[in-house]
Amino acid sequence: MARAPLPVSLSLQRLVLQNSAALAADQHAALLLSGFHPAPTGDALIGDALVNRQVQLEAWDDSGARGHEAEGDQAAIGSLDRINAAISDWVGRNVGRVLLGLSFPLILFITWQASSLYGWLPDQILPAPSLVWQTLQERIADGSLWDDASISLLRVLRGFTLGATAGLALGGLMAASRKLHDYLNPLFLAVSQVPTLGWVPLLILLVGIDEGLKNILVALSVFIPVTLGTYQGIRDVPHGYREVGQVLTFGRAQMLRIIILPAAVPAIFTGLREGLSNGWQTLVAVELLASTEGLGYQMSYGRQLFQLELVIATMLVIGLIGFVFDFLLGRIENHLQRWKVAA
Amino acid sequence: MSMQAKTRRPRLTRIWRAAALPLVLLAAWEASTRLGLVDPHQLPPLEDVVARGWSESRNGDFLTALAASLGRDLAGFAIGAAIGTASGLLLGFYRPAQSILGPTLRVHRQIALFAWVPLIAVWFGAGEPGKIAFIALAAFQPSLINTWRGVQEIPDRFHELAAVLTFSRLDFLRFVGIPAILPAIFTGLKAALIYAWQATIGAELFMTIAPGIGGVMMQGRQLFQMDLVLLTILLLGLVGAGFNTLAGLSEALLLRRRTS
Amino acid sequence: MTDLHLGHHLHAVENTPPSVEGVPGSDRHAILSLSRVSKHFDVAGRRVQALSDVSLDIQEGEFLSIVGASGCGKSTLLRLILGLDRDYQGEILLDGQPVKKPGLDRGIVFQEHRLLPWLSVEANVAVALRRSKLSPRQKRDTVRAHLELVGLEKFAEAYPAQLSGGMQQRVAIARALVNRPRFLLLDEPLGALDALTRLRLQDELKRIIRHEGITALLVTHDVDEAVYLGDRIVIMQPHPGRIAGILPVILPRAVDGSRSRSDSAFLRLRDHVLGQLGVGQEDAPIRAAE
Repeated sequence: MARAPLPVSLSLQRLVLQNSAALAADQHAALLLSGFHPAPTGDALIGDALVNRQVQLEAWDDSGARGHEAEGDQAAIGSLDRINAAISDWVGRNVGRVLLGLSFPLILFITWQASSLYGWLPDQILPAPSLVWQTLQERIADGSLWDDASISLLRVLRGFTLGATAGLALGGLMAASRKLHDYLNPLFLAVSQVPTLGWVPLLILLVGIDEGLKNILVALSVFIPVTLGTYQGIRDVPHGYREVGQVLTFGRAQMLRIIILPAAVPAIFTGLREGLSNGWQTLVAVELLASTEGLGYQMSYGRQLFQLELVIATMLVIGLIGFVFDFLLGRIENHLQRWKVAA
Repeated sequence: MSMQAKTRRPRLTRIWRAAALPLVLLAAWEASTRLGLVDPHQLPPLEDVVARGWSESRNGDFLTALAASLGRDLAGFAIGAAIGTASGLLLGFYRPAQSILGPTLRVHRQIALFAWVPLIAVWFGAGEPGKIAFIALAAFQPSLINTWRGVQEIPDRFHELAAVLTFSRLDFLRFVGIPAILPAIFTGLKAALIYAWQATIGAELFMTIAPGIGGVMMQGRQLFQMDLVLLTILLLGLVGAGFNTLAGLSEALLLRRRTS
Repeated sequence: MTDLHLGHHLHAVENTPPSVEGVPGSDRHAILSLSRVSKHFDVAGRRVQALSDVSLDIQEGEFLSIVGASGCGKSTLLRLILGLDRDYQGEILLDGQPVKKPGLDRGIVFQEHRLLPWLSVEANVAVALRRSKLSPRQKRDTVRAHLELVGLEKFAEAYPAQLSGGMQQRVAIARALVNRPRFLLLDEPLGALDALTRLRLQDELKRIIRHEGITALLVTHDVDEAVYLGDRIVIMQPHPGRIAGILPVILPRAVDGSRSRSDSAFLRLRDHVLGQLGVGQEDAPIRAAE
């Protein structure tokens, strides 16, 4: 049946909408609550290089006849060199971009410096950069920075371990048993609706303001995303792969080890990353609110004494730690997912 | 992983199961207070909490506090999400902006949100402006990131299509770019809403001037009124659930036409 | 080149059992027999009869093509034979025993290759040998041998995402064969590939299956493919899914056992099958198969 041709804009919109739905489905899982993760733009170029390689492999070998394969292999190996070349090209070509990227912070810094030089803002509102730097050095020198940082880090690690273990367990259990899921999920959902800090007054009344409070709160904020990620990851293993396991007569253990867990790792890991990010956030908040040592406490202390240089210096350290966490987890994630070629 | 055809479990079973655990917990609560197993300061009887809830909702204070909290939440959310989404669009579509502002924003993202509280409290004061500024900051981050990523992930084939149809920049934005990233923007708004609510509570716990749910909680804590604290937690949960439901519904509505 | 299990059929053509030449069923026994198999789905409150009273006997060593439009139940039938689905009426007997669950005696190649993306090509094939009683050394050798069989021994270390569609499907074929199944089920294995690759892989499939001496069951919507590869063709119709006819494929063969796709006998048979499917007749109503 012939159709009257749609106006270009409408058919284009439909094309866009159809493809956006697929995009939406993918993004939905990946982007929800991802506000604190860096975008892997740098990796995109490496991904491009890998995709080029794939395209080359495709072009060279589709033949059933074995004769062609030798040539195809040579070309495939050649493209490895091509990847190396691509990376060094990137660095060379992007010197300009790097400089541009530094321009904005530079301007901010100059403004900051000028402000303290010309006294546009009082020192209690905006201390001079040199003061901040001096404070940092002092704290490093007398070891107090290290002490506070290690206290905070230890708390995060403890809370993270606790929360992640519980989250993996609960997520796994709920994914394995529909029954358990039906019983436990409503309560889990209810708990997850309450903002983490909302539990603070209750917990203070129950356990006071010592380590227990911090552990529980950090663990809770880690627990929720890890459970979700684990549950989703396992349930979202494509049915097609499960069938492969059935057809190859895998037992339960083999199914788990060879098919389900590898397929679920990306989502589980996303949950873990988010958990760590949440845990760190929560720790800083709790230390600000109810602590007598740690980085958060230092900021609170600095604020009360109107020594903003202490606040700013500590913020920088907090930022650094956040960066390191993200970086490390990003590396681990890439390693675990080597088999994925960037789309 | 069963090989049998999966029978659809009737809705009723699911509802029974969902209610089971909460009912058991409520029963345990009632039992433990009746039997004197717990300190009434730590776990007040169920009736007391309910009664307190009833009386609080009748006197205006609770509602005023809730209204105040929601007010600042939405104000901060609106400001932060607007700036965040606009920035995401700018950085996504305009290369120079990305080069200049991108790295700075990336670094900014590394600093834990609550680390900004002392600074903001000093710069904006601990009253409304300070709270709203903090909430806006919280909403800014996720909407920026999601929008930006949405633009980055517009498939190349759309760009090619627009080129082949000789679209101008404006045409591209109107027919391809914006529709393609609406889901991402929406995801960003959802996340921003959640973060904004979290920040609202946090802000109220730190900057305790002016009414708000956070203030009520602090009051409950200071006066050792567990029933009040429990009620506020319930309220927080309800509001959070309300936001999520709202977001889910509007998403379903918005994206309804897009099922392929 | 190992000689393991690949048999001595290097001159497969001369040693082909005479029955493969197209005289159905006379001197072979049925190893798979379906009687009065029916299955229905309930979709949105309506009952859809996916299969209705399907009866079929499959002989050892033959290549059976099942052809029909989408929705005629051919894939469903395959899944029942495979043992992935036990919800049906009727009987499916393998060597006289009812089929209860999947087994390594039946290998399958799906339409989507379903290779596990986190395993290398070699590991993907090896994973099918987990339950096998062979020693690790023997396993490694047979994996390699089967990769050679499909021409991918040089890509053993590659990951599926790095291969083209045709190569991926060949790995899937290797995986399906590595357990030396008696039965090879193929569910539209070449459907997702481009036309040129499809033609090449058809020849490959033919070569490999002859080599191994396996009984093969191919489900396809491509009539040319069904006629080119099969010894018998089962024609299925949808609504409800049923067998409309079974044709023996009696065609001249060249010296190396291949058939020509443009031979007039081939074309006539193909057109006949198309006609049975309701295509290519101007006065026949065009029914949507969905």
